[in-house]
This record gives sequence, C-alpha cells and structure tokens, in this order.
Amino acid sequence: MLCKGHEGRLENVRMTKWVPDEELMLQVRAGTSESLGVLFDRYQKRLFNFYSKMTGNRTVSEDLVQEVFLRLLKYRQTYTPGTPFRAWVYQIARNARFDQLRKQRPEAELSAAREGFTLPGDPAQRRQESSLLHQALLQLPEEKREVLVMSRFQDLKYEEIARLVGCEVGAVKVRVYRALQELKESFRRLQASGSARALNAAGEKQNLPRGAGHGL
Amino acid sequence: MDCDRIAEMMPDYLEGALSHEDASQIEEHIEQCAPCRDTLAVWNELAMLPEETPRPESRQRFEAILAAYREGRSSTKGIREPQRSLVPVWAFANRSLGLAAGLACAIVLMTGGFLAGRYTDGSDAGSRMELAAMHGELTNMRQLVVLSLLQQQSATERLQGVSWSTQETYADPQILAALLHTLRYDTSVDVRLAALDALSRHGNQPQVRAGLLDALQPQQSPLVQVAVIDLIVDLRDTQAIAELQNMQHDVKLNPAVRERAQWAIRKLS
Repeated sequence: MLCKGHEGRLENVRMTKWVPDEELMLQVRAGTSESLGVLFDRYQKRLFNFYSKMTGNRTVSEDLVQEVFLRLLKYRQTYTPGTPFRAWVYQIARNARFDQLRKQRPEAELSAAREGFTLPGDPAQRRQESSLLHQALLQLPEEKREVLVMSRFQDLKYEEIARLVGCEVGAVKVRVYRALQELKESFRRLQASGSARALNAAGEKQNLPRGAGHGL
Repeated sequence: MDCDRIAEMMPDYLEGALSHEDASQIEEHIEQCAPCRDTLAVWNELAMLPEETPRPESRQRFEAILAAYREGRSSTKGIREPQRSLVPVWAFANRSLGLAAGLACAIVLMTGGFLAGRYTDGSDAGSRMELAAMHGELTNMRQLVVLSLLQQQSATERLQGVSWSTQETYADPQILAALLHTLRYDTSVDVRLAALDALSRHGNQPQVRAGLLDALQPQQSPLVQVAVIDLIVDLRDTQAIAELQNMQHDVKLNPAVRERAQWAIRKLS
C-alpha cells in the first residue's frame, strides 16, 4: 500500500470519527491494531480520571491506563461481538486495578494518597478543600469508592455499574448512598480537624471485593 | 417524608431519574432537614475535584506498545499453530471446518423453513409438537457445530465454538465435557479463558465443579489458574478447599497462584 502520509492519516481520522467503539474493537480483534489508537483517544482521559480518583496518584493512573490498552490487545480474541465496548473496557479496567492492589504494599497507596490533587491557579482555600475531599474519598473502602466514582465522575448508569460489579441495581443504589454518607462524615471530620493533622490521618482500607475477576 | 424514604430515593434523584413530583418532594424535605441537605451538598462539592488530563507522553507510550505489538506480529506471521496432539476425550470423528460451516448453514435453512411452516400451519397442537421436535433437532445440530468447532486448529474457530456453546441455556453433558477438555488442554490461553467463562454459567452442575478441580493443578498458565480459583470462590465450592490447601504449599506453582489459593481458602472457610 502507498504511504499516504499526513493527509492519509487525517483522512483515516475523519473516516473513523463515526465508527462505533464496538466496530473498532472488532477490527482490533481481526488484527487491525491501528483501530486501537482511535479507542485509546476516546477512552484514555476517561480511564485516567477513573484511576486518578480511585488512587490519588498520577503515575499509577497512567500506568494503569497503559495496562488496560495492553490487555485489550492481548485479550482481543475474547471480545465477543454484541458486547458493549464500554462495559468490556471497564471490566478490564477494574481487573487491572484489582491486580495492582494485590501487588502493591498498603503503604504505597497511603503515601500516594497524601500526594492529593491540586488545581494550579486555584484560590488556596478552594485548593485545600478539594484536597481534603479527595482525601476523604480515598479513605472510603474500595467497593464504596468505586461505585461513587463510577456514578459521579464516569457517567455510568446504575444498571451499567450493577452489571460491572455483579450485583442488583438496588444494591448499587444503596451502596452509592452509603458511600456518600460515609464520605460526608469523613470529609466534615477532616475539615474540622484541620488539614495538617488530617493528612497524617489519611488512610485507605484495602478491601478486595469478592470475585475480583479473571485477571484480564 | 422521612429521611429513610429520602435515602431510598436519593440515588435516583442524583441520577436525575425521578419524576418532577418525586424530585420536588425530596427538595422540600431537604430544605427542612440539615443532615440530608449536607449529604446533597457533599455530592455537589465532588464537582470541585478537577478533571485530570493525562500527559502527552501517555500517547507516545501507547504508540510504543502498539509498535512492539505489530513487530511481534509480523515476525510470527506464517508460523502455524502447532498441531494439537491431544486426543479429545469425547468420542467424535474428526470433522473439517467445511462440515461445521455446512451444519451452520443447515441450521439457518431449517430455521427459515420452520418459520415459513409456522405461517402456513397456524398454531394448532400438531404444529406445536412439530415445533418442539424441530427445536430439539436444532439443539442437536448446534451441539454438533460446537463440538466440531472446538476441535479446529485455529484458535479463532475454537473461540467461536465456545461462544456458540453459550447460546444454549440447557447444559448438555457432552458440551460441558468438551468445554472442560478445552479448559484443560487447549493450547491458547484465550480459548481456555473463554471456555471457563462459558462453564461459569453452569457452575451448579456437579460435572462442572468436579471438572474445575481437575483443571486446577495441571494448568500451565497462572492467569487461567487464578481465573479458575476465582470461579471456585464465586461458586462457593467448599469441596475445593483441600485441593487449594495443596496448592498453597506447592513451591512449584507461581507465587501469585499460591497467594490466590490462600485468599480463596480464607473466602471459603
């Protein structure tokens, strides 16, 4: 095939703009690995934000995103037509996270949690509040934090979350509500005790959910 | 409306899935109830957490992975998958893909003919019986296709066989035996994992539970071993504990597998 250069690539981008995720994944499955680039552009930021809210650590989050796309390539043959790509990629993303949790020592995540996230250029007060809120989020048990992050930041519907975590929709709603209550309590507590002491008290429970997946 | 009722409705409210009437009820309550108001405030404050943008290097790293993958793929091009030397346990003559495709066609044709018949015959008792018989035949045909696809040389076709097997809700012992054989002996990890997924739908069958135990030890891939252990835990199969205890202390096994076995024992006991 002739090399079409920059224009050719632009043309490809234009052409793939309207191709559904599922179609692209089927192309990857059939050996057209270039199509994975389009999926990467569509999902990288979303997944990065999922992980950054879950771990509070940029480097770990970036590594996990790479891991997800590597697994998409490795296990492309197990993608079955008709499976919504979004559900599949989140399943893989969750499994990558569980594997990372299993491998890491608890202290690693703790120190990562202290890093927090800050908005450059934000007023100091707001920055501190946002950092405390993220601290509080990181203190939630994994299972509760996950459903909260998925519903609040990832625009996933309760039905989708239920399928992902393998429980009833009602159970997801209860879990989201409880997570929010728990978050409220620890956030207000952190605010009351002041940021300095709060940072030292930051901790994360490491409860691995049951049936952590197939290690995809 | 009390706080308990609000707790029930709040998640739908947050998702914007409540009717106008229900939403107003929640808002009314929230105006008067400080704790519920605070819960909603924290949900809104979560918007403070910034949306993060990954560094541009991320894309480059991904490109590198992709390039490495393409290189690996082109260097293995032309190498055929090794001939499978293991004889399947189920007695079934070796069939070519041509036959499998033919069977698939036959199913399509039969379904077509059956639908046509339905329009002309109406829905009397006779045709219902015919329908049942047809369905039985269809199931058998599909089983034949599955069994023959599972024996193909190409991993893609075997994967296709596994996925065909999941179209039946009824657990045919012969199909289950074939899937268990695939789980244990297939040369491709992808196919073994897919077979495991298919089997997980029939976890209540004693044949499957016993088969999973058999497949645990001789399994070559730690990935598959971990997946089998996870399924055993999901099935709450406490009979597996003894086997898991052996694995936990088996130094020949991958450390991740031993660790997973240990985790499973804790979950099951």
